[in-house]
Amino acid sequence: MNCQRVQDNFIDHQDGTLPPAESAALRAHLASCPDCQREWSALQEMTRKLDALPATEEPSPRLREQFYAMLETHQRDADTVSPFALAKSRIDRFFAALLPSTPSLQFAGALAVLALGVFTGARYLQQPVPPAVTSPADAQRLANLERELADQKSEVKDMGGLVAASLLQHKSTSERLQTVLATMDQKSPDRHVLTDLLGALAFDPSVNVRLSTIEALAAHADQAVVRQGLLATLPRESAPLVQVAMIELLTSVREAAAAPLFERLSRDETADKDVRESARRGLALLRSPSPTDPLKSKQPSNPVLS
Amino acid sequence: MFLAPVTQFRVSSAEAPASLPATVDADSDHELMLAVRAGEIRRLGDLFERYHKPLYGFFVRLTNQPSASEDLVQIVFYRILKYRHTYRDEGKFSAWIYHLARKVSADHFRKSARTPTPTDPADFNEQPDQEPAPDAQAGTADDLELMRRALARVTHDHREVLVLARLQHLNHQEIARLLDCSVGAVKVRAHRALKELREVYFKIRKEQAA
Repeated sequence: MNCQRVQDNFIDHQDGTLPPAESAALRAHLASCPDCQREWSALQEMTRKLDALPATEEPSPRLREQFYAMLETHQRDADTVSPFALAKSRIDRFFAALLPSTPSLQFAGALAVLALGVFTGARYLQQPVPPAVTSPADAQRLANLERELADQKSEVKDMGGLVAASLLQHKSTSERLQTVLATMDQKSPDRHVLTDLLGALAFDPSVNVRLSTIEALAAHADQAVVRQGLLATLPRESAPLVQVAMIELLTSVREAAAAPLFERLSRDETADKDVRESARRGLALLRSPSPTDPLKSKQPSNPVLS
Repeated sequence: MFLAPVTQFRVSSAEAPASLPATVDADSDHELMLAVRAGEIRRLGDLFERYHKPLYGFFVRLTNQPSASEDLVQIVFYRILKYRHTYRDEGKFSAWIYHLARKVSADHFRKSARTPTPTDPADFNEQPDQEPAPDAQAGTADDLELMRRALARVTHDHREVLVLARLQHLNHQEIARLLDCSVGAVKVRAHRALKELREVYFKIRKEQAA
């Protein structure tokens, strides 16, 4: 047994916890090794002196007083449990007893709840909810609602017309053109749209827009408002292309009221040659009785102008 | 069976009056603490009577500040009340209370390191009460005073293990659990601590002689 090993065992030897064999070996070594003997006796001396240290002086009475004061405070707090806390602890215990305590069971429980939720959702949420009309009063209310809805819809449409008008007034030429062309898609545009178009025909500075407007109006030339508008704008029109288009449109619908206008244009020396030509032809067509449309030729829609 | 009979070298330490009361069995401590945990707060009084002196000794030896040590004892018992719900059924009360005491002293040292508090004038007192009766041998009285000062100058970790092992009479297993290390490590530390104590002791004696 070397010295280091011996000294490592000193503490156990001192405590008497060294196995007897090792203890005997240690003692044998000590008997033969002066260094270890010195080390051992020094350790023993220190331990003895340390153990001989008297107890520290008594703590002052203040410690005991303070401790028992604190103890009383805590005991009172523990005794006067508020009813709320009591109820809370009861509720907690109830739920604790209800719910599983082991994590694996908790996990399984959570999964089960999730699966149940998914199943319930798939089972019941897919069925469409039928309209629940239960009484005549309800049906009446429903009808009222639908009527209101329809009113709102038409209002929105009027709004669309207004928007179109504003477009005609403010946007660039190409945009105005597009607005006009968009109105051509409408099967039966209301009065507002037609008025907008006639306004564009009368006031739009662009020849192209005015031509397109005539094209758009051609589809609705059977309406009195359109023919009146055309008759009103034709005398003010200066562009020959537009004038010709208007004359042709009025001729094609056999507007009898246009005849005096055509006559004046055909004799107008300042007017364009093409305009005078088409006015003459239109006049000739209006004057020859049409077998297909006798009503229109006999009853001019705008007697005021004629 | 593994335990060797007490050798002739064994240093007797049973008569140290501030040691844990040997007659009190741990079961009884444990039962008292379980009662405290269950809401019978007043029964902590019995545990206070059993433990406050050893705890006080522990703190005085560790801090060399008798008046602060009283506060530390109070803090330990306050924490026992505060954390009584964490006391475990299979717990050992003496281990738990020293565990709390170590934490309290660690807090104390951290705090006093941060804000150096003026030393209590009472702590400068040479503590004449601790001296043995005048009829004791003069040399021994000097020796004891020397040892007291040497212990105060040993590094904190070594002082702690010396106080726990020699003055509080905890066995190495208990200390190992307390310090959260192996029994072997405790023995190594105890050996080194005794060596350091010896060095400091002789250094002080040399200073005194000079």
